[in-house]
Amino acid sequence: MRTESPVEVDSAARRKCDRLTGQSEALLEYRGLSITFGELEAIKNVSFSVEGGEIVCIIGPNGAGKTTLLRMTSGLLKPTSGQIWFGGSRVDRLPAWQRARLGIVQLFQDIQLFSNMTVLDNVMTGAHVWTRAGFAASALNLSSAVAEEKRIREAALDELTTVGLAGRARQFPSALSWGEQKLVGLARALLARPSLLLLDEPYSGLVQDDIFRLTGLLRGLQKRGVTMLMVEHLTDVVMDVAEKVVVLHYGEKLAEGSPDSIRADERVIATYLGE
Amino acid sequence: MKRELGVIIPAIADRYGVRGGRLVVAVAGVVLLTLPLWATAYVVNMFTTIGLYSVLALGLVLLTGLAGQVSLCQAMFYGVGAYTSALLAVRLGIPPALALVSGAAAAGLVAAPLGRAILRLRGIIVAGVTLTVNLGFFYLVKSAAELTGGATGLYLIPRLDSPGGMSYSSFIFFVVWGLVILCLVLTSNLVKSRIGRALKSMNVLAGGSEDTAQVLGIDVMHFKVGVYIVAAVFAGAAGAVYAHRMTVIEPHTFGAQTSVLIAIMAIVGGVTNPWGAILGATLIVGITEVFREVAPVVLGGATGAYELVAYGVVLVLTLLFLPEGLFSLPTRLRKRHED
Repeated sequence: MRTESPVEVDSAARRKCDRLTGQSEALLEYRGLSITFGELEAIKNVSFSVEGGEIVCIIGPNGAGKTTLLRMTSGLLKPTSGQIWFGGSRVDRLPAWQRARLGIVQLFQDIQLFSNMTVLDNVMTGAHVWTRAGFAASALNLSSAVAEEKRIREAALDELTTVGLAGRARQFPSALSWGEQKLVGLARALLARPSLLLLDEPYSGLVQDDIFRLTGLLRGLQKRGVTMLMVEHLTDVVMDVAEKVVVLHYGEKLAEGSPDSIRADERVIATYLGE
Repeated sequence: MKRELGVIIPAIADRYGVRGGRLVVAVAGVVLLTLPLWATAYVVNMFTTIGLYSVLALGLVLLTGLAGQVSLCQAMFYGVGAYTSALLAVRLGIPPALALVSGAAAAGLVAAPLGRAILRLRGIIVAGVTLTVNLGFFYLVKSAAELTGGATGLYLIPRLDSPGGMSYSSFIFFVVWGLVILCLVLTSNLVKSRIGRALKSMNVLAGGSEDTAQVLGIDVMHFKVGVYIVAAVFAGAAGAVYAHRMTVIEPHTFGAQTSVLIAIMAIVGGVTNPWGAILGATLIVGITEVFREVAPVVLGGATGAYELVAYGVVLVLTLLFLPEGLFSLPTRLRKRHED
């Protein structure tokens, strides 16, 4: 398993978020969030919160606005109205790269590994948020940049070991199976040391063995204090891993609660879960 | 012949592997760096020109090959470096060596705000805008005749202080190739670093994604502008050396057609590899010299810009048969041999 990296994240905001992660306070909070694309109101006045250390799943039919909500959270989409609070700070006006530095990291449904890099380089890119070497130090190959590069490499191999793919470090993503690519994407996201991991359908396209493997990894991450907000269609998996489920329907929050309460909710049964 | 090469090159590569590649580079390096000792002044000057264009094309390797940003105004930064260094030396009497450094810095200073404005645009529009900016620079320099000498050029630019016992053309040759090696080392270091990974990650031309880069904490605009500045500083340094080499500069040297030529060099050599820049510059400058010097003799004194046709033919052939550039040729031949 992963060992503690020697590199300390020195961002004050990040430390604040890390502290919050370990406490049972709301790490993430949506307040009346809406987004409109032309005439279409994709998210309508959605409010809910995610506590530090929780795994929260968002479910709902296609077009419910689940992925849109994740992209607003990571900063790739700007809400039309409403607010997003993270670790006690309002973040909805920050660009995506700044939110990543605060600890919000998204893993896309289609993974989006960089096909022009090896598996190891892909994962090493995840360390960008906590590393410092700039253009001058890197171009001149200063000792500080060399030492940092060594730390990044070790930490990346560590994460690859965690997901069981250290042996594939030198290969390009195209040589990996879909499930393996998902795990590389996860390792890359983990190297960014997220407080909040946004997972967009992480189980899609996985075979049963990979599903068990991923569930084990996510539970391990939770023990490490990582909070997860996940969009997922596999109802069994959702009910198994989530502490809280939020149901979206045509951009509106239909229900919110524990997996058991959601399973028993008549509106959810009628619109999404079925009999 | 092609078939024979297809056997010989892979056989050499198989026999000597990476060591063979290094040996070729080492031999080429020794031949190149001793050139002023045994070659004619014409050849030395030609390789000085190749060196200058290699530095310009190396900027594009970083900007386009690594970061996926298109730019057709490298010649403008070449000109900014040349005119800044020349004007500081001619008008203010600043020592040429200091003026040279100022020329490189000036190109970077111009690139910072320009890059921030231009690199917000995407795709082919960037190519059009950068080409237009280069045209604007050309007309600006041509119009500001009182300062720049206009279309007739800026004369009496002082030479760099050269050591005694060495011809000025030999000295400039070593300065230029020293600059090539420096830029090559800086580029290679950047490619392998945290910065290189950040630039690759946002390279939408080669499997990167700006959205993914951003959610990993990479400030895409910062890195776009940063690499744009580095490419401009390379070009500015080359321009400054050019000014003190020629002692006279005129705007046509830094026009849009030069930017297109630099892009052709980078593409033909291989825009994703620093060595490709040198290969491309060597081939294109070689073609230029052959057509300028040899064609009139062969064609009975005929004049004309035949080299422009040759550039086009070489570019099209490269895109058709070696889209990754000349640098990829040995790898391709080896793969073909294995198949």
